[in-house]
Amino acid sequence: MTTRSGALHGRLAEAIALGVFALVSLYSVGADTPQVVLNASKAGPRAIESLTERSILRDYRFAWVNLAQALESSSTAPLNGLFAGTANDWLTGLVNKQQHSGLSSRYLNQSHKLEAVFYAPEGDVVELHDTAEYDLQILDRGKTIHSERAIVHYVVLMTPAADRWVIRQLQAVPEF
Amino acid sequence: MSSSTNTVCKSHNARSSWLAALVGALCLVAASDAQVGELRVPSRVVAGTSISIPTTGSGTGTFYLVGPSAATRRDVDLGQQISVPSEDLRSAGRYVGILCADTCGSVEFFVMPAKPVSLTFLVHPSRAPVGQNDVISGVALPFDEFRNQVVAPVTVNFQLTAGSSSPMSHSVSSQNGIAWFRANSGKSAGALQVVASLRDASARRIVQQVASDPCNLRIKGQRTAKGIMVETEPVRDCAGNPVPDGTVVTFTAKGGKEASTVDAPIKQGIARAHMTAAGPVSISAASGVVMGNELHLGAQ
Repeated sequence: MTTRSGALHGRLAEAIALGVFALVSLYSVGADTPQVVLNASKAGPRAIESLTERSILRDYRFAWVNLAQALESSSTAPLNGLFAGTANDWLTGLVNKQQHSGLSSRYLNQSHKLEAVFYAPEGDVVELHDTAEYDLQILDRGKTIHSERAIVHYVVLMTPAADRWVIRQLQAVPEF
Repeated sequence: MSSSTNTVCKSHNARSSWLAALVGALCLVAASDAQVGELRVPSRVVAGTSISIPTTGSGTGTFYLVGPSAATRRDVDLGQQISVPSEDLRSAGRYVGILCADTCGSVEFFVMPAKPVSLTFLVHPSRAPVGQNDVISGVALPFDEFRNQVVAPVTVNFQLTAGSSSPMSHSVSSQNGIAWFRANSGKSAGALQVVASLRDASARRIVQQVASDPCNLRIKGQRTAKGIMVETEPVRDCAGNPVPDGTVVTFTAKGGKEASTVDAPIKQGIARAHMTAAGPVSISAASGVVMGNELHLGAQ
């Protein structure tokens, strides 16, 4: 009886551990992968083709993954060419400043609501409005000095490159 | 001037309501012991300008500034002004200032773009056929001296000038930091100068206007010892512009049940081809969607 009860408790503990592990895994995936939705219905003067819409969505999501990793690790290594021009200069400059000061930033639980507001007649530039929501943590040598749930409005310029859309401008504004 | 004030110990990490309540209670306790006074910063700062942030309290603390062009940390005396240099505020965007002593207080503010001093100007296409509607387009984006996109509305003037004709101007107010236009191409081949200007800033692009499809394609030919030599008259579009060299003209010879085809590029305005046919033959020419006249030659 005691043995059977012990085995039952063991299985229960195992099931709870598995459940907790599954929940933690699920939470980690949610935390690392930004949720991004794009409304392209108001884009003009050119309409955004569905394939283009999917590419923009994919590359914008990856760009934010890279951005978050770069600013958390204070390293430019995670940047995979999804930022170009001014946006790339800004991001690499910020990473270098973080390295110098010992600060780092975490962007957790991201969600981005994108709206395409302009798509050039020849399809060579798209402007997006991103209402981003994320947990921002700022750390000084690993110690959290600031944390908040931030809602930030970004004006984004993206242009097509050889095999992807790259961010050329990522500028926060008080409101659209 | 409106200003932003600090928020102390925000409980963002709480994943459940009881945890949020606990963290909130701890924050209230911490806030009651805080030595960091209220931070006041202008809510909107122009890029590239320095600011001073007054502090209250006594003792020393650490001031952090984190934003698009800043990730700085320095020791400060509480009760004194904190000077933030202009080079830390060049990039437009959202900044967070954090002052830590026993506890930390923070303030957010926005740096806005300075006045526009340059234009990024995209014009398409580089070559446009004459007489086409809405074939030329231009997109202008104003930027300040720190490469911040100026999203506030500004008026951009577009001017199109072809040859000696009078310029055509068009003023557009930018929306969301972008001004754009579409225009028809002119009637004459040649360079079209497109200028976008905004106060002291301007950008110039050239669109080469080329002849459109050939018009009134006419051919002539004669028999020679080796066959038939056929050629076009000078090929022009409907506005009289010479069609560019390299444009292909297709000659087709039909005699009885046989037909032969030769593609010939225009050289110095004329396309020529040598064809072989012994019997009576009908020769026609086409370029793009345009057909020319038909030429009938008798047997050799």
